[in-house]
Amino acid sequence: MKALIEADGIVEQVLNVVAPGQPVSRRRVLKLCGATIAGMASWHFFGMGGGISAPLIITEQAGGLVVADPTRCVGCRRCELACTEFNDGKSSPGTARIKVRRNLNFGPAGLYTGQCTDGNWGSGLIVQDFCKQCPHPVPCADACPNAAIEVKPPVNARVVNPDRCTGCKVCLKACPWEMMSFDPETNKATKCFLCEGKPKCVEACPAEALTYVSWVDLTGKVPSRTTPVSNRSVACIDCHK
Amino acid sequence: MGKMPQYGGWAGKVLRVDLSTGRITTEDTVEKYKDYIGGTGLGYKVLWDEVAPETRAFDPENKIVFATGPLAGTSAPCNGRTAITTLWPTCWPKHLVGSGHMGGHFAAELKYAGFDGVIVEGRADHPVWLAIADGKVEIRDARRLWGQGIRRTTLEISRQMGPEAVVAAIGQAGENMVPMSVIINSVSHSGAGGAVMGSKNLKAIGVRGTGSIRIAGNREEWEKAVRYHLSLIGANNQIVVPSSPQPWAEHYNPGSRWVASRGRTWGAANPPIETGSCEPQNLNRIAYRTNNAAFFLGEQAWRYTVRGNGCTGCPIRCHTMIKVPTVASKYGIPEIGQSTCVRMIFGKWFFKSFPDGPLGETSIEAAMVGMHLADDLGLWDNYGQLQRDFQKCYSEGIFQSKVGEKEFRRYSWDKFEKGDPAFLFELLPRIAGKDGELASALGLGTGFMLEGWGISEEAWKSDRTLQYWKLGHPKHHSNEDAGQCGVIINTQYNRDAQCHSHTNFTRNGLPLEIQKRLAADLWGSDAAVDAAGDFTPMNVYKAKMAKWALLRKELHDSISLCNWMGPWSSSPLKERGYKGDDTLESLLYSLVTGDRKSPRELDEVAERIFVLHRALTIRGMGTREMRAKHDTIPDWVYGDDKDRIPFTKGTIQMDKDDIRKAMQMFYEEAGWDKETGVPTGATYRRLGLSDVEEKLAKKRLTA
Repeated sequence: MKALIEADGIVEQVLNVVAPGQPVSRRRVLKLCGATIAGMASWHFFGMGGGISAPLIITEQAGGLVVADPTRCVGCRRCELACTEFNDGKSSPGTARIKVRRNLNFGPAGLYTGQCTDGNWGSGLIVQDFCKQCPHPVPCADACPNAAIEVKPPVNARVVNPDRCTGCKVCLKACPWEMMSFDPETNKATKCFLCEGKPKCVEACPAEALTYVSWVDLTGKVPSRTTPVSNRSVACIDCHK
Repeated sequence: MGKMPQYGGWAGKVLRVDLSTGRITTEDTVEKYKDYIGGTGLGYKVLWDEVAPETRAFDPENKIVFATGPLAGTSAPCNGRTAITTLWPTCWPKHLVGSGHMGGHFAAELKYAGFDGVIVEGRADHPVWLAIADGKVEIRDARRLWGQGIRRTTLEISRQMGPEAVVAAIGQAGENMVPMSVIINSVSHSGAGGAVMGSKNLKAIGVRGTGSIRIAGNREEWEKAVRYHLSLIGANNQIVVPSSPQPWAEHYNPGSRWVASRGRTWGAANPPIETGSCEPQNLNRIAYRTNNAAFFLGEQAWRYTVRGNGCTGCPIRCHTMIKVPTVASKYGIPEIGQSTCVRMIFGKWFFKSFPDGPLGETSIEAAMVGMHLADDLGLWDNYGQLQRDFQKCYSEGIFQSKVGEKEFRRYSWDKFEKGDPAFLFELLPRIAGKDGELASALGLGTGFMLEGWGISEEAWKSDRTLQYWKLGHPKHHSNEDAGQCGVIINTQYNRDAQCHSHTNFTRNGLPLEIQKRLAADLWGSDAAVDAAGDFTPMNVYKAKMAKWALLRKELHDSISLCNWMGPWSSSPLKERGYKGDDTLESLLYSLVTGDRKSPRELDEVAERIFVLHRALTIRGMGTREMRAKHDTIPDWVYGDDKDRIPFTKGTIQMDKDDIRKAMQMFYEEAGWDKETGVPTGATYRRLGLSDVEEKLAKKRLTA
C-alpha cells in the first residue's frame, strides 16, 4: 500500500494549490475531478527529480495527438524511420512509436483470419497505428509498477521516464492498442511523446496521411488490439466503486 | 552494452549458408568488404574470390549473393534495393557475372535482422527455405512449398515467421530452373536469378528483424541531409517537371512521369484522393507525383488507382496499385494488382492489338493477368525481350516451323489474335513449367533460344523493332535517350544495362538550354548533352558523362540507393536554377557510416567496383579482346527507317566511325587500353586491384 500512502501526500499538495489552507476530505478532492486534479502528474508541479514521488494517476489531458488516414498511407514507413532516426539516432521500425510495419503485409487482422484482407497482400489499405495519448485512466501508466510513465509538458504527452523504467514490459501488455515499444538495446520501454509538439512522423509523411491535431478522445472509438491489465487496479477503487 | 561498433549504417555481419553441408557462418562486413561497400560490390568480390570462371550458373559451385549497403533500411530516400549477384543464366553463350536489383522491403528487413548480405552456396539435397529472424538462421524443409506459387509460399512462411516477415521467393519458374525467372518479395518487387535459387533447391528466404541500424553522424545533421535530399527529388526517374501545366511550374513536358494534377484522382481509393498540383516545395505530397499505372496503361488507369506503393523509405511510389474488379470474375485472379514499368505491362505486351484499342479495358485486364501470373510463377521479361521475341516468332512463323504442328495447335491462337487476356493462362504457366518446346525455348532467354533453334543472332541484331543488343539481352536506355553515351553504357554489362544515371538526366523534362547549363557543371562542358534525336558528333565530355553514369550506377547498387531514381543531378527547384546535387551520395554515406568520404573518394570506390565487374567479365570470357568480342553494338543502331543520316534532327541513328571514336574516348577516360578495352595495369593499381591484375596477367588477360 505504499503507493496509496504516497498518493495521500500528493493529494495534500494538490489541495494546497486548489484551496490553500482548507481542510478537505479525500472524497471531496476526488469529486473536484477533471481540471482540478489535472496537473497532479505535471513534472513542473512536483519538480521531478527533486526526490518527490511520481503521481498515482494521470488525469491531465494531452495537448495534441497524431491522427492518421489509412486511405492515404502509401506504406513507405518514412514515419517509423523519422521517429527513431531523428529522435534516437537509429533506424528502428521495431521501436518506432508509430507502427505501420505490423500492418503492412496483411493489415491489422494479420494472416490469422485465413484471408489477407488488407495491407500490401490484400486490399492495399495500410492502417497506421498511433498512440491515442489516453485520458484517465491511462492504461500504460496505470500498469507501470514503477510509475515510469508520466505527463510531460509542453503538450502533456504520456512519456516513459527512462530513469524509472526497469524494462519489465508490463506496459506493453497493458496498452489496448499495443502502442508501447520495447528497445532491447536500452532495455527500456518507449512510447510516443509527440516530439514536443512537432511530431517527426507527421513531418516525414510524403502523402499527407498523418496530421497533428488538438487532443480528442479516441480511446474506445478505435478497436483495441489487446485487453488492458493493471497491476495497480487496487489503487483505482476510490474512483471505480 | 556491447562495444560500440566503429561504423554506423552497416548491420555488421554477412551471412554465409552452404546448402550442401548445412553449414551456417557469418563474417564481419566491414573487415572483409568495406572496400567494396556492399550490394553489387560485395557480390562481385565474392564471385571474384570464390567462383571459378568455368563455373556454369546452375552448378552447385555457383554462388548467389543477396547484398545491401549502409543506406538500406534508413530514411535516406530510395534505399530499398537488394543486389542479387550471380552467374547469369540467360547470358549467352556463356554464363557471365550479372546482378539484379530487387526493391521492396527485403533489404531493410535483412538489415534489421542483423545482416548486410546473404551468400548462398552449394545445393540442398531436397527443397529448403531459409529462415532469418533477428540473427537466428535456420534451413527449413520446403518440400510442402515446392510447386507452389510465390503468393502461397509467402503466406505459408509468414504464418510461420509472423506477419511482419519479408519473404523473397521463387515460383514454379525458378524451381524448374527456367533461366527467365525472378525472385519476388513484397508482392511485386522482382530481381532476376530465380533459376539459380531453384538450382540450389532454395525456395525462399524469409527475414524478420526487430533490430536497428545506427546512424553514425549527428542526429540533426542527418535529419537536415535527408530533408535536403527530399527537396531535390522529382518524380519517378528523377523527372523534375510535371507532365501538364501546373500553377507553380515554369516548364512542363508531356513525356514526364510527374503526372499529378488537379482533377487527376486515385479513383479506386475509398474515398478517392485527388493528387493535386504537388508543389515541389511541399515534401508532404511527393508520393502523389508519380502514377506509373497512368503512365504505362493510359489515362483511364486513374480510375482504377488505389494508391502508390513501393520500397522502404522511398517517397516516390513507383509501384502503383490498381483495382480492376472485372478480372476477379473473368479470370479468377485478385482484383488488386501492383507493379511498375515493364512488369506492369508484362501481360499486355504479348499482344499485337486488343478489341477495344491499345489503351482500352482489355489492355488493362491483360496487364492485370500478366502481373498476377508473372509475380506468382516468378517469370522474368528480360526488359520486354520475352514479349518482343514471342511476337516476332509468331508473326514470322518461327514457332510453327520449330515446334511442330501438334504442339503448335495446343495454343488457342485465335485468342491471341483477338487480344484475349485468357491466352496468357495457356502461355505463361507453360513457360514456368517447361511444358513443350515453344514455352521451354522462350524460357531460355533470347540467346539460348536462338541457338537451340539454329537461328543466327545477327537476324535479331539487325531488326530495329526487337531492340535486341547482345549476349541474350536487349538495350536499356541507349541511343534513343543519350546518343553515344547510351551506346557506350549498353556495351558494358552481361545483361540489359541496368543504368539510369544518364537517362535520368537527359529525360528529366527540362529544356535543353537548362540541361546544357547543368551539364557544363557536371561534366565540364555543355557539349556533353544533346536533345534526344538531335545528336552531335562524339566529344570527350560525352565520354566523361558515360563513365560518371556507370560509376554512379555501381555506387548506387552498392550503398543501396535506387539507380532508377537517382542520381539527383537536377532538381525541380527553379530557385536553384534546377540544379541538383552530385555530392548527395557522399553526404549520406559519410553521415550514416561515419566513414567520411569525399565525392571523389567515393567515386573511386565505385570505380573499383565497376572495374572488378570488368575483370570478372574478362576472366569469364577468357579473352582480352573485350572491344571486339564483348563491347559489341547491334547493327540496328546504325540504321534508320526513313534513311535519314546521322546527326540530323529526328533520327537516333548513330554513325559507325563516330561510335568507334566514342568507345575509344570512353576507354581513355576509364583508363583502359584503347585497342582491347581491358583496364591498364596502372588502372588496376590505382584502384587497389593489384591482386586482380596479377591473376589476370597469369592468364594473359591484361593489356
